[in-house]
Amino acid sequence: MTRTLPVLLLLLALLFVLPAFSQGPGEKLPSVTMAAVGKVQVKAGEPVSVELDFRIGSEFHINSNKPKSELLIPTVLKLQAAEPVSLVAVKYPAGQDVAFPFAPNEKLSVYSGDFAITAVVKAPPKAAPGEYPVTGELRFQACDRSACYPPRSISVKFSVTVVGR
Amino acid sequence: MKRNALLFAALLIAIVGMLSAGKYLNRVRQHSPTKMVGDVRGLAAPNFDLATLDGRRVKLSDYRGKAVLLNFWATWCSPCKVEMPWFVELQKKYGNDGLVILGIAMDDSDAPKIAQFASELGVNYPVLLGTDQVSEQYGNVEFLPTSFYIDRDGKIVGKGTGLLGRSEIEDNVRKALASPVAGINNAQTSATPPKTQPTAQ
Repeated sequence: MTRTLPVLLLLLALLFVLPAFSQGPGEKLPSVTMAAVGKVQVKAGEPVSVELDFRIGSEFHINSNKPKSELLIPTVLKLQAAEPVSLVAVKYPAGQDVAFPFAPNEKLSVYSGDFAITAVVKAPPKAAPGEYPVTGELRFQACDRSACYPPRSISVKFSVTVVGR
Repeated sequence: MKRNALLFAALLIAIVGMLSAGKYLNRVRQHSPTKMVGDVRGLAAPNFDLATLDGRRVKLSDYRGKAVLLNFWATWCSPCKVEMPWFVELQKKYGNDGLVILGIAMDDSDAPKIAQFASELGVNYPVLLGTDQVSEQYGNVEFLPTSFYIDRDGKIVGKGTGLLGRSEIEDNVRKALASPVAGINNAQTSATPPKTQPTAQ
């Protein structure tokens, strides 16, 4: 009895406290984070691909860059590179075609879990060696299994070191 | 014996701590500036004045005496698209009993695009253009769909966040319809706001 009483009291307390902490459907906010980018070296005159790794919080998905409807908001990465570095291309991964419980007959093109976007940058042949920042933002619109969240952006930043040929 | 006493004391501290935390969180929710977070049942639904897709102005108070289903949605919200045909059916089924469904589009898209989307889904109830202000009034609507069920007296009787089942939505509609208001002529049941100058309440 002396052992069970504290346990019972603890369970009783949990009954009171858990509802206060609990979140209803759609009440947990989605997160997308970007992993730190390692050292990026660019030989003047030669393009280089930079992989940008993103992680979407569990239970959430975001539209791919090519969602299946024009009404859906695509994931878009916008970058600006400091002169003399320039952005050549942004390459998005293909989305996964997934049917969700809210529309079992319709497949959406989404990213979930980890995904990578490749940015191709280059510096002109006569670029001065040095470190140059590339900044921008990733815009996305997330949903979970029963709710969607307004579009959001996170900042994206990495540096490019230009070296001589 | 000494070990049991220590264990008991630790558990007691944990219990008191958790109860205090629970009480504190509930108090924070109830005293939030908008008061529209947590359990909002029984609160007066904040009035608003929003534009319809065809440029008219609509106030919530125009519908006093009606049961109102206020649905926040967006064209980019796939779960919202699932609920809307149900709302169309419910508007047909309960319109004569005094149900008014108001869709609040939280899109950045322009009105014609929203109108086209609503038309394709056969929406038979007014769609209003949402604003940040109305979102704030209703506790910062962070996720869609979110619906508020408002009784004939302007009190919130239910809130649904995320996609609910059709039967759950209909139960909430019935709750909103259940409260009669003295002195209101419920025979006027069209989903269209009154053409005459409505009385703000």
